Amino acid sequence: MVTEAKLSHTAAMILQAVDAGFVYGFSIMEMTGLPSGTVYPAMRRLERDDLIRSQWERQSIADAEQRPPRKYYKLTPAGRNTLESSRKRYPLLERLIPSESEEKVRQG
Amino acid sequence: MKPSFFGLIHFGLLRGASLLVPGIQRAEWRREWNSELWHVRHSCRLMEGASWRAEREVASFCLGAFQDAFCLMRQKARADKSLTASKGSASHCMLVLGALLAASYFMTLLLPGVRAEHFLSKYQADPGLVMIQNANNGKAGPTISSRQFRAWAGRRQKYFDGLAFYRITPEVVSTAPHIQTGWEVAGASSNLFALLGLPARYQPPGDEAAGDFPKLILSDELWKKAFGGNPNVAGSIVSVGSRKARIVGVAPAGSWRLPGRVDAWLLEPDSQLAAEGVGYVVAHLTALGRAEMWTTRVPITANIADGSEDDLLGVSLDRDSAPPWAVYMFAVMLALLALPAITSVSLGESSVSSHRTSWPRRLCRWSFLIAKFGLLLPIVYFASIDLAYWSVALTPSSSVYIQLTASFSICLFGLRWVLKDQRQRCPVCLRRVEHPAQVGQASRTFLDWNGTELMCMDGHTLLHVPGLPTSWFGTQRWLYLDTSWGFLFASPDAGIKNEVV
Repeated sequence: MVTEAKLSHTAAMILQAVDAGFVYGFSIMEMTGLPSGTVYPAMRRLERDDLIRSQWERQSIADAEQRPPRKYYKLTPAGRNTLESSRKRYPLLERLIPSESEEKVRQG
Repeated sequence: MKPSFFGLIHFGLLRGASLLVPGIQRAEWRREWNSELWHVRHSCRLMEGASWRAEREVASFCLGAFQDAFCLMRQKARADKSLTASKGSASHCMLVLGALLAASYFMTLLLPGVRAEHFLSKYQADPGLVMIQNANNGKAGPTISSRQFRAWAGRRQKYFDGLAFYRITPEVVSTAPHIQTGWEVAGASSNLFALLGLPARYQPPGDEAAGDFPKLILSDELWKKAFGGNPNVAGSIVSVGSRKARIVGVAPAGSWRLPGRVDAWLLEPDSQLAAEGVGYVVAHLTALGRAEMWTTRVPITANIADGSEDDLLGVSLDRDSAPPWAVYMFAVMLALLALPAITSVSLGESSVSSHRTSWPRRLCRWSFLIAKFGLLLPIVYFASIDLAYWSVALTPSSSVYIQLTASFSICLFGLRWVLKDQRQRCPVCLRRVEHPAQVGQASRTFLDWNGTELMCMDGHTLLHVPGLPTSWFGTQRWLYLDTSWGFLFASPDAGIKNEVV
């Protein structure tokens, strides 16, 4: 039987942030308010446990915007299931980190 | 753009942290952190301009890289540890044996001596072929003059239906203008290769090979050394001494097993063979001649030109040494006979209690033992072949001795290892038991138990090996541990997987 990973509150916040559209390290830091020394190691562990997956942005896109390419993260199906159970465990998670589109609507 | 003072500090911090990251991940890690750093600086400057506070925020971001690097370092250490832990497992054992088999087979494919032996095993010399030599001369050396050979070849023979002569002489050969080298050239009868049944590779079609020049066949070694293995070498004209000759092919590697080291064979009609000097004569016996043969030899009396008689000996060219597989089979049989003398052939299955393992476990254990034997035997074969035929310069008899010794030794100690390894594998998980602990005192052997205890690291069994076999504890025994022992063997990583961060 495959047991679902139980996430700490920090890990659940990061997973929620990725799901909400904050898909690179710095934006997750900004959204969650967590320091880099917490966010990046947590993302390594989430990636190791196959809950998120990373992918480098295409060089042409970065060149067009005159900046270095970014490493983007996205949820895997296992990550999505784990996030669902974490939301039940931490009911305020979704209110704490709304999706990026909701954030824009609220700001607008 | 010239980097600022703070820029250099940030760069130095990331560089320092990256040294903690495992080498294989370092480049990717630096790329991500450098990219993120660019965005952090860009964002901080947009919000606060080039201020002390902005630089401090960027520096604290860079300090976080150390925690990330430590995290990756710990992950690597944990992965290494789990790899070390799997060292005694059955799959690790199979992997090592598989790698040894692949390596020995790969060597077999590479070594020229082994390839030559493989060719020879395909090439069966005609049992009627004999090398004629002087009966009074114990060693096979050149004893027959070309004049004598021509006299025999000119006469009608009752015992032979084919005769060929060769004589090896050092010659200065010119392969191109101003390029001269010394070769050992065998001036041979034109039918030598046909009589021996040796093929010549890269032969040009009939017209090209024909011509006024004598034909020259190169040895494989010379062809590779002097012509770089060029397959289009056939048809070229070279000067051998004062004569021109046309290259018509290359002899297969290791195919020449007659006396004398030869770089090239100059095939000429018998009438053009050098009159002076002595050489070797190869003959093919008729049915009558073969009837006269005693084991591998036939006595020959030859009439010499001056009317006297000469005692000669015809020695069969048929392979007089056993083929490698026969030597191997013999060595394996010897090793099996010798095995009980160096180790117990018992598998040490007895248990302290009446506990018996389930039949799938027993099947698995037996399959593992059979697989080990199955991998060991081809390893022995290929390794012994590699050792025996590593060089084409070794004589067939010395190769046989080397192969016999090597296959016997490797097989004997390999079988011993297989049995010993099997006795020390947990019957439940097939892992090797570890951490030997001496229990009891040798002086109390007859009063109390004394020996070594080893444990399965997965917590299934304890193995008791008596220090001195006694009538009440003669062989090793397994003690099967129940689940109450589980907490002692719990993996330190068990709780990590379920709780991240």
